[in-house]
Amino acid sequence: MIQLENISKRYPGGHDALKAVTFNVKPEEMVFVTGHSGAGKSTLFKLITLIERPTRGILQVNNKNCNKLSNWRIPYFRRDIGIIFQDHKLLLDRTVFDNVALPLVVSGLNHREIQRRVRASLDKVGLLNKEKLYPLTLSGGEQQRVGIARAVVNKPPLILADEPTGNLDEKLSDEIMDLFYDFHVHGVTVMIATHDLRQLKRLQKRVIQLAEGQLVYDSENDDEYNAQ
Amino acid sequence: MKNYFLRHFQTLFFSLGQLWSTPVATLMTIAVLGITLALPAGLFVVLENAQQASGAIKDSAQISVFLKKSVSESSAKRITKKLAQNKNIERTRYISAREALAEFKKYSGFGDAIKAMKKNPLPAVIIVTPKQSAADPETLEALLKTIRNNNQVELAQLDLEWVKRLSAFLVLAKRGVWLLAVLLGLGVILTIGNTIRLAVTNRRSEIEITKLVGGTNAFIRRPFLYSGLIQGLLGAFGAWLLVQGGLLVIAEPMSQLTSLYASQLEISGLDGPQTGLLLLIGASLGWLGSRLAVGRHLREINPT
Ligand SMILES: Nc1ncnc2c1ncn2[C@@H]1O[C@H](COP(=O)(O)OP(=O)(O)OP(=O)(O)O)[C@@H](O)[C@H]1O
Ligand SMILES: [Mg+2]
Repeated sequence: MIQLENISKRYPGGHDALKAVTFNVKPEEMVFVTGHSGAGKSTLFKLITLIERPTRGILQVNNKNCNKLSNWRIPYFRRDIGIIFQDHKLLLDRTVFDNVALPLVVSGLNHREIQRRVRASLDKVGLLNKEKLYPLTLSGGEQQRVGIARAVVNKPPLILADEPTGNLDEKLSDEIMDLFYDFHVHGVTVMIATHDLRQLKRLQKRVIQLAEGQLVYDSENDDEYNAQ
Repeated sequence: MKNYFLRHFQTLFFSLGQLWSTPVATLMTIAVLGITLALPAGLFVVLENAQQASGAIKDSAQISVFLKKSVSESSAKRITKKLAQNKNIERTRYISAREALAEFKKYSGFGDAIKAMKKNPLPAVIIVTPKQSAADPETLEALLKTIRNNNQVELAQLDLEWVKRLSAFLVLAKRGVWLLAVLLGLGVILTIGNTIRLAVTNRRSEIEITKLVGGTNAFIRRPFLYSGLIQGLLGAFGAWLLVQGGLLVIAEPMSQLTSLYASQLEISGLDGPQTGLLLLIGASLGWLGSRLAVGRHLREINPT
């Protein structure tokens, strides 16, 4: 699903956020990416969603060669990835419904289909009764779930979540992680950046660790971890 | 296909809603556009009317034929009759030297001064009115030549030099207006570009998020293009109101002025096709200004 080969990213200004990172993520896999602040987790996600381009290395996502993907194809490419941002990135002047509908609206679906899918998606995250509210009237956890509903409304084969439980309490964090786990069980590839070691222990899924832009640990090569 | 039109329709209404939500700013933009467009449109209308008027004056041109002093009254009358038979001449009128003097006394106010003169200084005159069909400059020029060839004629004068000069000036002025129109059209593009730039900046985060969930640039551009188009169209309509309203104001004194030169001169405003053209130009400039601005600023908003 995702293949990185010696991926490096140097930001303008000379900072090397990623240094020769190599790993693969298989379809339907669930992967946690962890590491200290500034390790390069968000940068990794930005490369996979082509918000940034790698400086070096080969990147394949969804069987597409991202190095060669031209700019005008990027929107279509992104429609197959559900992205969840740490800061929600919700439109504050639109209702919950309109926020979740956005990915469908941009791909030109008809109104009835949009309604059906948005409702299904909101139902999945338990916010069906809040579709008419505005994001600022929701709690942090609810806002995060609106973001999740928007990311999955397209039924993408790949979900990327950047610290989706950033400042939520344990119960809410568990709920949201369980939601992702559920998508994974239903055949969606899920990749989550998190600092939350408790979730790593709880869910026992593959863990990739970055430090200073380098891949320092991959549980796939750790027989002890996999034996548990 | 039905979906396609529906989506455009929705975007149109969305843009209208956006404009409606900031009524003061929108009205101000439209007013600026209206004035900017009204200037060349108004000048164009004025020149068009002036051209028509100068044409009408040309049509009513008369040739004054001054006869030599030595020509007797009877031969003068013969010449008058002969001229009247010319195929390019509508009618002729003979004014004897005496009549000419009487007329001059009556209108000039120099009556007493002239009374003091021993001899009548004025020659006999034949007023020649050319046919409408002969009103073009070449035919008039040829006619003048024929009349001048008669050796009893002292001087034949077509009081048209100033009309010619006027129409030459009008051609030049029209060119000037076109040039002005191009410059002000550029002004319209810049005005729209600026409001659209502001709109893009105000909705930066919305654009960013739309890009992140797979919105194409065309999708993001569309509401801005409609917004520019609508504002341009409304600006052109404002210009139309200004021009037609302005004409109403100057119609009365203008018709008084023109009636001195030629009868029944109607002041005409923008007709149907011209109005259509004005609206089309406004809408196109609005669209273009918006397209240029949004294209430039969209590229500045990451991600791509
Ligand atoms: N646009 C940018 N321009 C320059 N440097 C950047 C840019 N984005 C990130 N960086 C730098 O790259 C490094 C990695 O940043 P990144 O956001 O990927 O870290 P992270 O692992 O997501 O950290 P956190 O856990 O705090 O979110 C940091 O040192 C950061 O300062
Ligand atoms: Mg980060």
